[in-house]
Amino acid sequence: MASLGAFLLLLTFVTAAYAVAASVAGARRRNTRLIESGIGAFYTVAALMTVASGVIIYAFVAGDYSIRYVQRYSDSVQPIFYKITSYWGGLDGSVMFWVFLLSLFGSVAVKVNRVSHRELIPYVVAVIGAVEMFFLFLMIIHNNPFSTYLTESPTDGRGLNPLLQNFYMAIHPPTMYLGFVGLTIPFAFGMAALITGHLDDSWLRAVRRWTMFSWFFLSLGLTLGMIWAYEELGWGGYWGWDPVENAGMLPWFTATAFLHSVMVQERRGMLRVWNVSLVIITFLLTIVGTFLTRSGVVQSIHAFGEDPQLARYFAAFMIFTIVFSFGWVIYRLPLLKARHELDSWMSKEAAFLANNWVLLFAAMFVLFATLFPTITEAINGERLTVGPPFFNRWMVPIGLILLVLTGTGPLLAWRKSTIMNLKDQFMWPTLTGLVVGGTVAALGVRVWGSGLCFALSGYVLATLTQEVIRGANVRRGMTGTDLLTAMIGLVSRNKRRYGGYIVHVGIVLIFIGFAGEGFSRDQQLLLKPGEEATVGDYTLHLDAIRVTDDGQKQMVTGHITVKDKNGAVLEQMKPAKWYFRKHEEEPTSEVAIRRTFAEDLYVVMPAFEIEEQTASVEVHINPLVNWVWFGFGILAIGTGIALLPETAMSFAVARLPSDVVTASVLLLCLLLPTGVAFAQHVETGQDPRLEKITTPEAREIAHKLACWCGGCSKLPVGQCSCGHCAVERAKIDVMLKEGKNESQILKFYVDTFGGNQILSEPPNSGSGRVVWMMPIVVGLGGFMTAAYLAMRWSSRRTSLAGMPAGIEDPEMASRLNDELRNLD
Amino acid sequence: MKHKAVKIGLTSLVLAMTFGGLLYTTMAEGTEYYKHVDEVMTQPGEWYGKKLQLHGFVVPDSIMKRKNSLDYQFKVQSNGHIVSATYTGVVPDTFKSDSEVVLKGVLTPEGFTTQPNGVMAKCPSKYEAKPGGATAPSGRY
Repeated sequence: MASLGAFLLLLTFVTAAYAVAASVAGARRRNTRLIESGIGAFYTVAALMTVASGVIIYAFVAGDYSIRYVQRYSDSVQPIFYKITSYWGGLDGSVMFWVFLLSLFGSVAVKVNRVSHRELIPYVVAVIGAVEMFFLFLMIIHNNPFSTYLTESPTDGRGLNPLLQNFYMAIHPPTMYLGFVGLTIPFAFGMAALITGHLDDSWLRAVRRWTMFSWFFLSLGLTLGMIWAYEELGWGGYWGWDPVENAGMLPWFTATAFLHSVMVQERRGMLRVWNVSLVIITFLLTIVGTFLTRSGVVQSIHAFGEDPQLARYFAAFMIFTIVFSFGWVIYRLPLLKARHELDSWMSKEAAFLANNWVLLFAAMFVLFATLFPTITEAINGERLTVGPPFFNRWMVPIGLILLVLTGTGPLLAWRKSTIMNLKDQFMWPTLTGLVVGGTVAALGVRVWGSGLCFALSGYVLATLTQEVIRGANVRRGMTGTDLLTAMIGLVSRNKRRYGGYIVHVGIVLIFIGFAGEGFSRDQQLLLKPGEEATVGDYTLHLDAIRVTDDGQKQMVTGHITVKDKNGAVLEQMKPAKWYFRKHEEEPTSEVAIRRTFAEDLYVVMPAFEIEEQTASVEVHINPLVNWVWFGFGILAIGTGIALLPETAMSFAVARLPSDVVTASVLLLCLLLPTGVAFAQHVETGQDPRLEKITTPEAREIAHKLACWCGGCSKLPVGQCSCGHCAVERAKIDVMLKEGKNESQILKFYVDTFGGNQILSEPPNSGSGRVVWMMPIVVGLGGFMTAAYLAMRWSSRRTSLAGMPAGIEDPEMASRLNDELRNLD
Repeated sequence: MKHKAVKIGLTSLVLAMTFGGLLYTTMAEGTEYYKHVDEVMTQPGEWYGKKLQLHGFVVPDSIMKRKNSLDYQFKVQSNGHIVSATYTGVVPDTFKSDSEVVLKGVLTPEGFTTQPNGVMAKCPSKYEAKPGGATAPSGRY
């Protein structure tokens, strides 16, 4: 396994080198066959990296502990899900995962654009190939994930740290990588445009969606990291301005700037230098982030390795990239001249320019403050650090300025806004902002920071609402539908613009969540069973401290009854401390959270005395924190809409019948499920016989039977930890030892209980198959029905405007477009 | 043209002065010295009363907790130099014997007084120092 993996990495490096050389040579000689050969080699890199990834995953699943990386990050009892996610659990594997993703993304980008951007593709291949070569070089020379033990290999692995065996932590790194790696594609196209001199807007069209896709995953990765920190680390917060957190944030700022700035170039032919510079800076910041977290240049409370050798490799790569890329920018400056000058500071393009500056400043400030200890040490030998207060002092006003721009940008006209235009556009939003600001001030909220944030959030939401309603009213006048249906039609006709507005709504909600942090309270309590204490409007009564064991870990759980100020019981909360068998010296604090949209009650039990029956309980009240997560959900919806092609689904909404959307929304509201917090502690009871499940077959059977004790929500017997299920698991073991097979054992239970209700899932045989088929049939049927109705609606002759069947009246479409444009 | 250059120059000057002033004042308030225990304990008198971030490793078996309270007393060392520290509050899960910590607080003749929420133990990182890199504490994961 190890030899095969190492050979694959070497082969990939050689193939990538050939792809770079062939592409550049082919482009320079205008040799199509050479270019095609380079592209073929580029695809081969993706294929080889896929095989190499398969090899390392197989090594994890099979438990090949002769490979050091596998031994360090997994063990035999680790669930298979975490064995697979251990692939990116350490430095060596994460670098390999990086190359794997980059090779896939690169191949897709080349495949999609090889015809429409024929002249750019050879250099796109060369740039991405060169980046792949750098990371492959790192692996082969320095961080080979396939390196083996020179002496006898251990029989078992060290296992993944318990804190990392968490749903959010498993998916947080790959989402961050998707964001980081995806941002290499715009960089490659930007460089290709600079090298070839094809600096019109076509390269922007090729990369806009890639940037948006990467930006979305970067946002998702940051949010997941925040949720993990909030639910797992037990300090009550989600962002601490740690260098590692900052590293992920840096490219997010500049990618955001690029997504906005690109519109000005498309529309007015301006900010060309900005755009090529932003894609270069964004790519560099992804490398800087990787460099910061792995080199030890910056001291972080994350125990990232100090590796001077790695730092040197990264530094050399970054210096080369800066010189090479900005060298091309300087060389191409004559071709990057703007087609238009800035006509007025009261214009949309001026707002975008300001947005660029503020976001770039934010990125540079965070980078400066993160590197501040290193800078001061280099200057005078003293390592001075700056903490969260310093960051907040600067980032709060920066955030508020960005919030102002979020609301102001959409209202300004291109080129120049007249006084009339300003009055017409800004009156209602400004009034809304003032009313909200006045209200929160009257409620005693301090003006600076939170109060201003609420007022500006009101202002921005008003601007966005005004924009959508105005557009929808125009459309309603044309189509005769109700307002909500007109809004959906409007969004579907201009997904990029209105998707962007929805993203802005999400950002505003996130800011409201941030503002809530200004009102958070925390208190430390020392309680014995039977005692209670009041924190804010809550009274916490400690009922008991209980010790249980589920076979994998021992759990010490505080049972706390929470009451409101009137004494009514709100909830039972169970903060806990877990001691994993293999990591007894590293207990994990499991927080208990009572969530509402107004505030979270966040309870941790960091310490306890079993003999004394005393629990130290830390209580945090975090107002509005769920708005941060909810805001991200809205942001995700908006990004999804903006990513859709402009023509997608247009046929379906071209002529929606009146009120159909309103009816659908009401129906959807009835069906909305509630969310689940994945990282919170769920106490499992005493389970002395869980280790009785000795074989995969027994585990399989235990998962196919439901607990019927009456108190366990019919959990599968394999998961349930009540005493009844322990007995049933023991019975299954005995029956297997007697030589019974799975179907015989299941039949025994069905016969004993007199029916299939004992099974946790319907049998996939006979009439049970109907149940299995039902979701597929209903799903497919629903989809086909919706598609059929959409086709009919879009082709139906309507009595409203006497349109010809099949297509929308082109005259009406152009009129609508004109009126929408006038709203800009 | 000249008028425009003057405007741009003045604007840049005002912005630079504002930025510099803000940076200076916030720096003066917000900075702390980042020191290793041995750097401070060679001449501790120099550091009394200064805001510090102190880096070191928890001396094995030195952690003591007062019963029925969140008062901790422990020792932190680096390169053979040791300092006693006190702290009241919640310690991170990763705070234990031999763990790498950064303490925020003030050095006094009695020892290091750690500020609230001032104990930062290393996160359960996925990335480790390579052998031959910086010295890692025993028991690191």
